[in-house]
Amino acid sequence: MLISENSKKIIDSCRFCWMCRHICPIGNATGQERNNARARALSLQYVERGAAELSECIDNVYECALCGACTKECATGWDPIVFTKEVRREAALDGITPDYISALIEKYGETGNIYGKTDYCDCIKNEMADLDANADTLLYIGSDARYMAPCFAKNAIIALKKAGVKFTVLADEIDSGIELDTLIGAMEETKEAMTACADVLNKYKTVIVLNPSDMKVFVREYKEWDIELKCELKTYTSVLADAYRNGKIQIAKLDGKVTYQDNPFLVREVGETEEGRVICNAAGEYVEMILSKKDTMLAGSFIMAQWMDDVMKLVAKERMANIIQSGAKTVVCASPEDYAFLKDAAPEGISVIDISELVI
Amino acid sequence: MQFNEFMTDMILTELEDAVGRENCSIKAIDKMTHGVDYFWLSRMWSDRGLRMPEADYVVSPKDAKETSAVLKIANYYKIPVTTWGGGGGTQGGAIPVAGGIVLDTKRMNKIYDVNTDSMYIECGTGAIYKHIEWAANEKGYATMHYPSSLTCSTVGGFLAHRGIGVVSTKYGKIDDMVLQMEVVLPNGDIIETASAPKHAAGPDLNQIFIGSEGTLGVMTKAQMRIYDQPEERRFRGFLFKDMTAAFKASRELLQKFKPSVMRLYDPAETASLIKKIVGVERQGAFMNIAIEGCSALVEVEERILLETFAKYGAEDLGSEYGKKWWEEKITFFYPGHMMDLPQMFGTMDTIAPYDKIEKIYWAMKNAIETNFPMARFIAHFSHWYEWGAMVYDRFIVDNPPADPHEALRLHNAIWTCGVRTAIANGGVVNDHHGVGIKLGRLMKEQYGPAMQVFTGIKKQLDPNGIMNPFKLGL
Repeated sequence: MLISENSKKIIDSCRFCWMCRHICPIGNATGQERNNARARALSLQYVERGAAELSECIDNVYECALCGACTKECATGWDPIVFTKEVRREAALDGITPDYISALIEKYGETGNIYGKTDYCDCIKNEMADLDANADTLLYIGSDARYMAPCFAKNAIIALKKAGVKFTVLADEIDSGIELDTLIGAMEETKEAMTACADVLNKYKTVIVLNPSDMKVFVREYKEWDIELKCELKTYTSVLADAYRNGKIQIAKLDGKVTYQDNPFLVREVGETEEGRVICNAAGEYVEMILSKKDTMLAGSFIMAQWMDDVMKLVAKERMANIIQSGAKTVVCASPEDYAFLKDAAPEGISVIDISELVI
Repeated sequence: MQFNEFMTDMILTELEDAVGRENCSIKAIDKMTHGVDYFWLSRMWSDRGLRMPEADYVVSPKDAKETSAVLKIANYYKIPVTTWGGGGGTQGGAIPVAGGIVLDTKRMNKIYDVNTDSMYIECGTGAIYKHIEWAANEKGYATMHYPSSLTCSTVGGFLAHRGIGVVSTKYGKIDDMVLQMEVVLPNGDIIETASAPKHAAGPDLNQIFIGSEGTLGVMTKAQMRIYDQPEERRFRGFLFKDMTAAFKASRELLQKFKPSVMRLYDPAETASLIKKIVGVERQGAFMNIAIEGCSALVEVEERILLETFAKYGAEDLGSEYGKKWWEEKITFFYPGHMMDLPQMFGTMDTIAPYDKIEKIYWAMKNAIETNFPMARFIAHFSHWYEWGAMVYDRFIVDNPPADPHEALRLHNAIWTCGVRTAIANGGVVNDHHGVGIKLGRLMKEQYGPAMQVFTGIKKQLDPNGIMNPFKLGL
């Protein structure tokens, strides 16, 4: 297994340390010992030392959501995501990527997204119809919302219109690179996808990024690849919060207590914790649920659900338990994934809404 | 008994029927990750590229009923069963040294009730303790069980080896924190202990299973106490010129009231770990005390503390070092902050009354340093009672043998020497890490003919000897 010295160092540090076990959304959901950073590191140190084959461990390398909870928790600063992604790349180079991952890569090659979609919902198209194609601001929807949660994309377009933002949406938007980055890490194909997306984004003065996972790729991975983004990047939530502060939008009032699902990528990678709360606080009596802000828990991942759908449902169920425990009747989501998975997991009496729905 | 491929598959289908196919594994990844715990020998062995003994099956029951089904299958085929919680134990207690079934408890993690009338949380024993702390915190309470493994170990794991946390002097050990338990006996019967502890209805069944390390059954549910959050927690650091004065001062203090944290570091540990993490750059024995509870009582207790320690010449270092220690109390145990491979190390925690504990410290230090000149010896005293204290004494060998067999031999020789010295001077084999496979050989030396009580219970409850073989000296 050809991995960097840095990855080897992290593996050797994490292999006997369970300090982040309690915070792993996958391990908490499955109760399986293999689902934590320590187990992954332990198995890979065996591979490193010739005592196990990578093929025996590779499925487990794909049982990580790369959400960064373990990284955030580590008092020493070790980052298990580094070796996890590097081993995914190594598996691709060695031709031992699991079949279910290879199938997704194949779909990506055919359609430009791992979901194998070639068209998107009319509800988005309808809202795009009256946008100014020459606007210098772009709303980047991303593959997840476009193909897996079209209402989330539609509602965002409507909300930005209400805020008076002059923007456009691309009919032929391409993936940010998040998909290949998740599946095979820092391969040349990933860089090509990112570069192509950057070329498009750089035609605009400002890009509003709807999905936090795309934003994470723009601010973290592009930098690592030295891919320049000349446009100004804004999170969708920050645009909404500014519009509210400037009196351009009104926020609907909700009955009962309201809480907010912090998206892991938004808070941990982008560093944004307050903008969504500005909107939620205006909507009613706000309560903070346990594990919020940088301690947040993943609620679901469309990409990972392609091969671990049952586990993603368990992950959402775990997070829903935190919401119920908070006493909130409504949870507001700022990511299409959080929204979709929590909505599926919500029991009667708990309302899951997309942050755009609060804009009136 | 060795089973061939056909029988292995036959048994697998029975186990799958008991817990569900997705919760029963024969995959290499599950076997290897249940083969290494926090035991130095298992870590060294795997570091050298050698596979530890592994299970044939890894099963994860969701409750007592499924656990019962697994144990009935295991008994029928006479397959060893090793219970695994978080795997954070240091004594090799969770390693399936005889193969067979690893029964992972982490799916039994449900929190059934946060009972604020009777002040307990009822939960599955597979719950990570940090998760029940969160549940208590959400209602404004605390579990007051804060060991370094809080975030990685399970309720059952702490019960199985009688664990302890840093505020033990005030709130007690894990056995002081449990009210009632549900246990699955080796024959598959599901029992409950009495509805309250401290009763006179015969011996306390809780105390038979606490510390039994999975040799007598599987604890599946427990009621763990919760406490009011303290109005105030104050810290005070002290520097003693010598350990004797510190023992006298602490013994006297504990006749007056109970602080929550009491940690006395010997001069060697003060000069190493405490200097590195807390920043105390002084010679002597550092001691950290925390007092907590109602503010009015804290005020009085702090005055008593200062008066008592002043009598024994303790230098008052103020509150900052103590606060820093509290903030970093778990950081000590992260990789990069404590001993790690390639070093060889071990913690020989023992407990004894005051008239013996200091003698034990010096005897163990002398025995280790004399017989093993390649080893350093450091210690602190972290859990205190009105009648005695425990010593958390550690040896460190910076350059252990490269050959794993030689490393194992040296490791065991140091342990045997240290623990035998403790026993000879009135100490006990272990205080709160347990026995596991590491110290099983010394149990008979500790107990002599009293060991027949343990073996008798074991024989009655587990006649086929399937439960965690070769652990606890049973």
